[in-house]
Amino acid sequence: MATIEILSPIVPAVAVRFLGKEDAYWRLRIKGAALVVVTLGIYRFWLATDVRRFLWSNTEISGDTLEYNGLATELLVGFLFAVAILVPLYMVFALVMLELGMVAIKPALIGFALLALLGEYALYRARRYRLTRTVFRGLRFDQHGSPWRYACYALVCWGIVIVTLGLAYPWTQAFLERFKMRNTSYGDLQGRFEGSGLSLFLRGLPMWLLIVGPIVVALGVLSAQIDWDALSRLMEKGDDDAAKMIGNMLAPGIGIAIAAASISLIALPLLYPVFQAVKLRWWISGLRFGEVAVTSRLRIRQVYRVYLRLMLYLFLLGLLASIMGGMTVFAVVGIVRLIHNATLTQVVVGAISLLLYVVVMIGSSTIYQVIVAAGLWRLGVDTAALTGGQALDGVRATGSASSALGEGLADALGVGSI
Amino acid sequence: MTPTTDPPAAATAPPRGPAIYFDGTCSARNDVLVEAGTAGLQIFSADRHLLDEWLYAELRRQAAPDGVLRLGRNGETLLARLEVRDSALAAAIEDRAVTLDRGGAAERKLRRKVVILSLAAVVSLIFTAIIGVPVLATRLTPLIPVSVEQKLGNAVDSQIRATLDTKHLGAAFVCGTGSSGAAGQAALDKLVGKLKTAAALPYPLRVDVVRRPDFNAFALPGGHIYVFQGLIDRAQSPDELAGVLAHEIGHVAHRDGTRTVLQTAGLSFLFGMMLGDFVGGGAVVIAAKTVLRSSYSRRAEASADTYSVVLMRKVGGDPRALATILERVMAEKDEGIKILADHPDTKDRIVAINAAAPAVATTPLLGAADWAALKQICAPLPASGTAPASGTAPAGGTAVGGGQK
Repeated sequence: MATIEILSPIVPAVAVRFLGKEDAYWRLRIKGAALVVVTLGIYRFWLATDVRRFLWSNTEISGDTLEYNGLATELLVGFLFAVAILVPLYMVFALVMLELGMVAIKPALIGFALLALLGEYALYRARRYRLTRTVFRGLRFDQHGSPWRYACYALVCWGIVIVTLGLAYPWTQAFLERFKMRNTSYGDLQGRFEGSGLSLFLRGLPMWLLIVGPIVVALGVLSAQIDWDALSRLMEKGDDDAAKMIGNMLAPGIGIAIAAASISLIALPLLYPVFQAVKLRWWISGLRFGEVAVTSRLRIRQVYRVYLRLMLYLFLLGLLASIMGGMTVFAVVGIVRLIHNATLTQVVVGAISLLLYVVVMIGSSTIYQVIVAAGLWRLGVDTAALTGGQALDGVRATGSASSALGEGLADALGVGSI
Repeated sequence: MTPTTDPPAAATAPPRGPAIYFDGTCSARNDVLVEAGTAGLQIFSADRHLLDEWLYAELRRQAAPDGVLRLGRNGETLLARLEVRDSALAAAIEDRAVTLDRGGAAERKLRRKVVILSLAAVVSLIFTAIIGVPVLATRLTPLIPVSVEQKLGNAVDSQIRATLDTKHLGAAFVCGTGSSGAAGQAALDKLVGKLKTAAALPYPLRVDVVRRPDFNAFALPGGHIYVFQGLIDRAQSPDELAGVLAHEIGHVAHRDGTRTVLQTAGLSFLFGMMLGDFVGGGAVVIAAKTVLRSSYSRRAEASADTYSVVLMRKVGGDPRALATILERVMAEKDEGIKILADHPDTKDRIVAINAAAPAVATTPLLGAADWAALKQICAPLPASGTAPASGTAPAGGTAVGGGQK
């Protein structure tokens, strides 16, 4: 270990690597998934804590590993807090909806926006919880900044992304990441984010052109074929033939539309790993702590390999589930012959199909978590390197731990992550 | 010094070894020498200065990769850490500090406790859902003001109408509006009036016959009852119709609509918020909610049947008429999956009604002329020649209706 310190002035790049073995993580995840199902979800706080301990502990930066020192009971308390906040809120929503009539669109939209705002708020607070529970070399990370302000920014950013059909995504991401990182610190080492929206945009533009482009072009072609004047005349008359007329006008364009949609549909899954790789690499190489800069050598083909493995494992799970399903059918046929009780048979069939469904769902989720979520973590860590790592040796302590309310809210709203 | 005291001291020379020490105020890594003494660890710098002294009782194991014993101090605000990679030293420290939970037995015990307590919580919440939620909803229902219930009814009403209204039947959705239905409406009002007076409900009752071919009737929160044309067509006496109406009035009197809303809210809280929040849990939540909701509903139906018998006896009608019409319709219906059915088994209902109601000779609640008019309440308007005759609704208008009555 000491050798690294001796070498560090000579070799500026500091090694970052992931030490964890995948089979240990599989065991952790599978056991956790089984307990989560048995306890109808209550065990998830303990599973999340185990997962973080594993991922943090096995992430080594310049010879020392990270440490996650959060507790599952903190997550449980945070969740109960969130329930205490959300239940009255949902009740108010219900009463307002009742007062204004069920079909009122505006209050529903406002309610949705409020929940989205609360979701972003929760994500920011959850990030703070995780950072303040992250210890490296005896010092913790920290996050400041108003979560409400972050939530407002995030909501506005999402609005802009939707309006620009995704073209503004790189800049909004860069903006939000800058906000997060300039409010992040490791001891007295101030964080910042230097990834530029333009560079992500340039790398992402070809993908956008292949996925969203065909649809935009098709829509343009289709709208050019519509005789808007004739249509508005028909609409004014309130004629039922308006729909038919639109159909006639669009008929030649349908082929174009289908072609465009198929290009998009084929391009989307093919390019998704590229998108993940580009974004992950852009994000990692934008991270800065004082003098310390992170670089990434992540290759697109490495991410492709991760997703191919995912496909393979999901296929195997599907095969296994089909075999189990087939055996279940046989077993049920046998049961029906043995006992002539219709109600019991219905209950048995219902329970077995429910169980099979749950196993397939949680199985897919576990496979995704091990292969993709942890796989990308490992890749990101293994392909990263630090320059200016000497600055990590003289950092002074600041900050204190935060509550797990954000985690709880994120969990209750279903927006949590690792 | 006698030579006897020296050898034991030499044999129990405290184990020592290298470790890495972080003091919690600075990220500098200190290569140290740790000595596992009798009361605690002594941490020496490379030049043999005593840097720190940690008692065994305050040691705490922290998450670390395999092969590393990472120690912190309990109740310490500073995050000072000691990392031991020397396995002999790590073993020696674990021997001396009980709190470190060597082999993780205490942690496993704690996890078992978590799982067992979670299972207990699941069982308790399921029992709450089966027993507590309906009781609580029944107690809370009278506290909900009637005005709120009526608002709720209006909100549901607009949705119900939107789903039920089969506009292409060529006539108004609600029967009894035109000149041909006026006599039928008057007869219906007469019948409902009798039941209403006897029932003495806390709020106004509104009964609408709607152009749907199914055999069905239902009550919304707030006292709005829908009767399907298919039910009028199948009723062979005014008392049969009155029996069904009395059943629905029973739902109104028991405020079952409001209670259902409260029950659903309670269930959504238990299943969805407290339980079932995991991938694939959605199906478990839906299954649990459906089974529980239909069990609540079966209880409500049974008590509405009882109410019907009592009300019919009050107005001097045939209390068994409800059973008669149910029996007739039972032949056309398939019972479906029992634990998911929102109504009790029709056979059981008929038995229960007949057990509660004495077989008495009664005069029909409506005269022959009134009854004939009521049967024609959905007759086509004379002006619109294109409208299909009542009772022969096109096939497109079936199958949307709710459960059997």
